[in-house]
Amino acid sequence: MNEDPIQDLLRALADADAAAEAPPEIELRLTREFRSRKRTRTVRRLAWCASAAAVVLVFAATLHYRQRPPALAAPAAVEEVVTDFYPLVNPAPPFERGRLLRVEVPASAMRMVGLPVHAERLSDPVQADVLVGEEGLPRAIRFVKFETK
Amino acid sequence: MSDSDETLLARMLKGDEDAFTTLYRRRQGPVYRFALHMTRSVAVAEDVTQDVFLMLLESGRRFDSSRGTLLSFLYGIARNHILRRIEKDAREQPAEPAEIEDCIGSDGVVDPMNDLTRREAIETVRRAIVSLPPIYREVVVLCDLEDASYEDASAALDCPMGTVRSRLSRARAMLAAKLEKKARLVKKTARIAYE
Repeated sequence: MNEDPIQDLLRALADADAAAEAPPEIELRLTREFRSRKRTRTVRRLAWCASAAAVVLVFAATLHYRQRPPALAAPAAVEEVVTDFYPLVNPAPPFERGRLLRVEVPASAMRMVGLPVHAERLSDPVQADVLVGEEGLPRAIRFVKFETK
Repeated sequence: MSDSDETLLARMLKGDEDAFTTLYRRRQGPVYRFALHMTRSVAVAEDVTQDVFLMLLESGRRFDSSRGTLLSFLYGIARNHILRRIEKDAREQPAEPAEIEDCIGSDGVVDPMNDLTRREAIETVRRAIVSLPPIYREVVVLCDLEDASYEDASAALDCPMGTVRSRLSRARAMLAAKLEKKARLVKKTARIAYE
């Protein structure tokens, strides 16, 4: 026993509580939180990548359209089918005005928003509408398919 | 060989869930007991433990190994939460002022171990610790109950090591005085009961 009774009592208290631990529910809650944060980070990273990719694509498409000679004739009896808009910025800032740009992107862009694309067709060109905000940032994208009537 | 806390933290920050779990299991006990001994409240100790590790998820990148160990970083976060809680509780339920100064000057030698049963003595120490002012309480809890080094305590409490030593010495003197007073009271009560 320690010669100092106070030290001895403190040691006894430390020993008595040595096994005291937080209940398992806290670990569960924290693990859930960890997973949720990890998901959010992944989605944000994807959104950022998609956003960056869209900026590049819009720029490239703008150049392409400027250089392209006017079309000789519009395709006859073709119907446009569009998907929903997929946000490119998460969380989406308030949107008031903007413009819609028709661009051509590789099919891999569809994968970025979670749409299924066959692995062999990832580099195929697809038409897409990019919603660009007033400040010039792409906000959302939808994909266009042409179906012959 | 098991990974160091710092390695686990680095892996955790890259999204490794196993690293987070290992780190949590390794360090939740000391954090929980620190809060428990500081407040004597299981509910507060649970809240603080959860908040500390949430904060680690949120701000783990702020950890700087040149300023101390990860455990002292966790103690530091816990301390901020605990002190806020103690202040809040004190505002809502003002406590009786602790009779520290009155006790310190008492003379005579009383060995509390001889006058109280061990279990009672432990409970008495627990209560006596909580009645210390927080700046003394935290050094006793960290250095005497959790065996933290002066260096770790200094990093956790954000004060020089000399201050940790002097506060610890003062805190032990306060505790001794409180326990001595309690032992005298027990003796006196027993005498009255027999007479």
